[in-house]
Amino acid sequence: MVQEKIRVDTLVVGGGIAGMQSALDLADQGYQVALVERDPSIGGKMIQLSKVFPTLDCCSCITTPKMSAVAHHENIQLFTYCEIQAIEENDQGFVSNALQKPRYVDVDTCTGCRQCEYACPIDVPHPFDRYLGAHRAAYVPFSTAVPQKALIDMENCILCGKCQRGCPANSIDFTQKEQPFEIESRAIILATGFEITPPDAKKEYGAGQFHNVVDALVMERLLAPTGPYGHVLRPSDGKEPDSIAYVQCAGSRDKTLGVEYCSRVCCMYAIKQAMLISGALPLADITIYYMDIRTFGKGYDQFYQTAQAMGIEFVKGKVARINEDENQNPVVRVEMIDEGSKVVERMHDMVVLSVGMLPCYDPQPIFGVRSAEDGFVLTPSINMAPCVTEHPGIFVSGTAAGPMDIVDSIVLAGAASAEAAAYLEANDGNRRSVKSTTNAARVTAHA
Amino acid sequence: MATEQPSEELKILILATLSGGYAGADSVGQLHADYATNTYILPVECPALFPKEFYLRTFKKGIDGIIIMYSGTDCPYKGGAERTAEIINETYPLMKERGMDTRRLRLVAICTVCTQPFLKEVTQMNNVLQEIGPVRQELSVSQD
Amino acid sequence: MPDKETSKLEPSQMKTDTEEPRIGVYTCYCGGNIGFVIDCERVADELGKLPNVVVTRTDMSMCSDVGQTMIEEDIREHGVNRVVIGACAPSLHEQTFRGTVSRAGLNPYFYHHVGIREQDSWVHSHDHEGATKKAIRLMSAGIAKARLLEPLEPIKLSAEKHALVIGGGVAGLRSAWDLSRRGLKVTLVEKSPFLGGHMAQLEKTFPSGEEAGGLLGPLIANVVSDPNITVHTYSEVTGVRGYVGDFHIQITQQSRGVDDTLGEAAMQACKTEVQDEFNYGLTNRKLVYKAYPGCYPSTPAVDWDHCPDGYLELEIDGRQIKLENQPKTFDINTGAVVVATGFQPYTPLKGEYGYLEHPEVLTLPQFIRLLTLIPEGKELQLNGHRVHNIGFVHCVGSRQIEGIHEAQEDGQVNNYCSRVCCTATLQAINELRQRYPDLNIVDIYEDIRTYGRGHEEYYAEASANQVLFMRFHGEEPAEVVRATDGDKSPLLIRVKDYLTWGEEIEVPVDMVVLAVGMMPTSIEDLIRLLKVSPGTDRFLLEVHPKLRPVETAVPGVVLAGTAQGPMNIKESIAAASAAASKVAVLLSRGKVELEPFVAHVDHELCTGSGECVEVCAYEDAISLKPVSMDGKEVEKALVTSANCVGCGVCVSACPNLAIDLQGWTLKQYDAMVDALVMDMSAIGVKHE
Repeated sequence: MVQEKIRVDTLVVGGGIAGMQSALDLADQGYQVALVERDPSIGGKMIQLSKVFPTLDCCSCITTPKMSAVAHHENIQLFTYCEIQAIEENDQGFVSNALQKPRYVDVDTCTGCRQCEYACPIDVPHPFDRYLGAHRAAYVPFSTAVPQKALIDMENCILCGKCQRGCPANSIDFTQKEQPFEIESRAIILATGFEITPPDAKKEYGAGQFHNVVDALVMERLLAPTGPYGHVLRPSDGKEPDSIAYVQCAGSRDKTLGVEYCSRVCCMYAIKQAMLISGALPLADITIYYMDIRTFGKGYDQFYQTAQAMGIEFVKGKVARINEDENQNPVVRVEMIDEGSKVVERMHDMVVLSVGMLPCYDPQPIFGVRSAEDGFVLTPSINMAPCVTEHPGIFVSGTAAGPMDIVDSIVLAGAASAEAAAYLEANDGNRRSVKSTTNAARVTAHA
Repeated sequence: MATEQPSEELKILILATLSGGYAGADSVGQLHADYATNTYILPVECPALFPKEFYLRTFKKGIDGIIIMYSGTDCPYKGGAERTAEIINETYPLMKERGMDTRRLRLVAICTVCTQPFLKEVTQMNNVLQEIGPVRQELSVSQD
Repeated sequence: MPDKETSKLEPSQMKTDTEEPRIGVYTCYCGGNIGFVIDCERVADELGKLPNVVVTRTDMSMCSDVGQTMIEEDIREHGVNRVVIGACAPSLHEQTFRGTVSRAGLNPYFYHHVGIREQDSWVHSHDHEGATKKAIRLMSAGIAKARLLEPLEPIKLSAEKHALVIGGGVAGLRSAWDLSRRGLKVTLVEKSPFLGGHMAQLEKTFPSGEEAGGLLGPLIANVVSDPNITVHTYSEVTGVRGYVGDFHIQITQQSRGVDDTLGEAAMQACKTEVQDEFNYGLTNRKLVYKAYPGCYPSTPAVDWDHCPDGYLELEIDGRQIKLENQPKTFDINTGAVVVATGFQPYTPLKGEYGYLEHPEVLTLPQFIRLLTLIPEGKELQLNGHRVHNIGFVHCVGSRQIEGIHEAQEDGQVNNYCSRVCCTATLQAINELRQRYPDLNIVDIYEDIRTYGRGHEEYYAEASANQVLFMRFHGEEPAEVVRATDGDKSPLLIRVKDYLTWGEEIEVPVDMVVLAVGMMPTSIEDLIRLLKVSPGTDRFLLEVHPKLRPVETAVPGVVLAGTAQGPMNIKESIAAASAAASKVAVLLSRGKVELEPFVAHVDHELCTGSGECVEVCAYEDAISLKPVSMDGKEVEKALVTSANCVGCGVCVSACPNLAIDLQGWTLKQYDAMVDALVMDMSAIGVKHE
């Protein structure tokens, strides 16, 4: 049950990989942490992915141990399906007003057995599977969700009561209400993450209307072992695609969309998906249309070279437009730069848009933290203090501070926890004094 | 549909790594996928722990098939996967010497969400066991 | 004979009796998840007939408070000293029940968890009888293991709350400062006589345009004024012993040769000049020198590398003075080590893009220094010749292809991207364009990788300001050749430009700037001392890029900055802080706790064959050491718990069965197998 007021050292907002890592790094040092996640499970975008570059590790194998560590950590209090609505500051730090949204399920008795799910007659398109699959109105968010607790999607529930009758633990509670509570903390880490370019962003690419033009997150789900089809099939007719094209920078480096920056991850995830597809569909032709291949991370360029050796076709060209023929095959109109910039039309069975990363949360109204022009959280000293926001005591971690891949997010999460720890130490006179009155340089340079 | 059980249960021991196969078996459970009940999964940190003799005596005790579901290249221990493979390769000739069908022992990489491969391995081992029968038969024929 | 290393195990405060096992067996209904399929009552009844089982219970939800309290009462009041629970997957509740058992005063490792939900009831829901029998088998195996459980304690090593940081560049400085702010003591060693590393050689930083010195100066000031941090310049690590929590580090420090009173005069007096590495050889400096204006320490130092005899004789104020290098060596004791040894810019081979063949060919780091040497308003000149046309070539020493590019001494090419050169080049180009609006600038690239926040703007600015871009393919690198006499520019860049039909183009230029990549600082000795591993790209290797991105395979040794791979300043700072965070996790409590699942050698059985040592992939985890047994010196295997990861590879390798993995012994597995094949009717369990 949610208490009315809890007191911790640091509040972490967001339970994706960055928030989890920041929370773990602080909790492992002995600091008390409250982790607040607005979705019903932690795991963020990362838990939706199939495999991760450049190691091609199974993504679940990397993410689930961290999710479980967060849930079981003695120094972390986890609040899922919960949002911060306002904060106040006093001389002790911050008081955050949190709102626990009702799951309509008693989490203390729910065992995650899914009997409610089996009993529920309502199917709802599932955002976790990018709407290709469905969940019931009463459901556990996904198979590796943490916590493994059901909730009821009240917008779609018909109040038939079947879940209530099916629940062996008598956990369904339609009378649950929103529950406000307070979190007192001395520091805050914002790890609110990103969202991807919406499907209707680009008219030239069909504005989300073409069945066989999907975004890369859809392809992640198609490739994931836990995915909706368990196989790569094209959505319009369930056919195995023979020819798949990736359109890079579909949402980044594009002034018409107001997104001038590079999203950093799209080259690598496209190459990774291309490799996974050629494993799943060895006969399929895969083309990647790009402006610049930006495989800059550790081991990334080598990964790109492997993909080239595997026969994946890389075409330097700007895709101007995608049309659809009468068989719902996407036709890509592209300026082939390496061939004297001639414009050609090429048909594929399926096109994957390498969509970009967009900011998804403006912390200004609640946290008083401004964003930069790109919409991501402003860090005034971008090089020397990449996690420090304008607001003392509030730090930023992961993609809330701009597009980055998982490795960079995890490293920045560690940095954010270092900043927060330093802030906690400097602002706790009872514990120890870091500042010293002597200015004696302990530098040896023996003559 | 109830799984058809042979009159004397042919037992499959599954040695599954906590970081791989064991978690994979839990994922299969999450899916409520059905498989045969003659499957006994024991968790292991890394199967490189087991010497060849362990497998031989386990067969002798009456386990008819052993599937080692290790973490393969995802093995968190340096050299663990390679060493496991070495030991298994050295075990096969010893099984042959004792008149055992080497298909009774199988090493396979299973990850935390490898649900289909898990089910496939269990089914395959059961098919093999249906074909070759209990291990005791083989061992009683041989001089061991 | 006590094993000296593993005897670090603290004696348990808890009940660790060796009395007869009294096993409590608990079967969970899990609502109906288990109970609707498995006949839990029958499971409990049957298991109750097994030897040593003194209590069997079922509950609708064993993990609930009611269930846990029941178990605690059985331990406290009914003398249960081993607990076996059949419930959901151990990954979900093993920790919960360890807590339960431990609260009741029992060693938490006297508990075994059997998963009968995910691996039984949920996968056999159509075969209740089969599922029930399987549960009985699995749990009887659990009981068999429980009989053989040993009390275990986490391995607690006391940890020095003191970290060593190797490297005084921006990453090392930042790690040191973060560690100190966290309350840890820090020793920082810098090989060169001065702090600052490569960042000191930069002018403007991207993307903010702030002066590098303006950012670095305050960081250095913070570090050197911090009473928690001791800095040793002109110093190197020359010895490493011990393990996480307790490293013994030997440091060797060169003399500076001069002190503050003598320093300035010695600089004046010194006549010998050598190439100044700070300006990458564009200028010379004296043998007694300061690295750069405002450098720290401000005391000059003697460059002993150029004094082969270890001394330097100078005439100061008419007096002959002999400056001598008397290196001193001392030891420190730290709990962890941060490796921040940084990078060196790639040095092109002679003739690579005309480097060292044509004086008009510079590297980008040299060019950045050159720009600082030319006063504002003065024209761009090189060796007295005015530069009208300048060409930049990307990916020099990066993204190399075997068979196309010449290999390094180790036979390898640099097949990685160096991450920073694209933005750094475009930043230099934009700066150049501002200062010299009439200059013709050509930028020859493969892919422009301005990936970072605020980096794309540099590309946009260059594109908008008459910079001519040409694009080559990696397998067709450009060439730099001498122009024929009479041409107005001394050099030609030959490039097959794919922005114009793949035509071969000759670009006449007065100067060529090579955007060289990064290579790790050469630290072979340190790699050997610390037992860390470089990757195939020669940079130091992390355990796993996502699970443990700043840790090495050696516990307690972490990576910060470009020692690990190419990074820009922001990324180095983040990595350095993350490294500090990891060290703080390790050391801030003054002790390091490790899982007790490590190898243990029975010295009665060990014959010192050494086969365990041979198969072990971890440094110093298991080794042969002389021990005295019955008055004789014999070699026995010894486990260093702090270095053992518990893989068990040594267990299977031991010909004498002398090694066991604590918590996962072969005997326990054998007992579990026995239980799986046991004829249950023989002990009175209802059969079929």
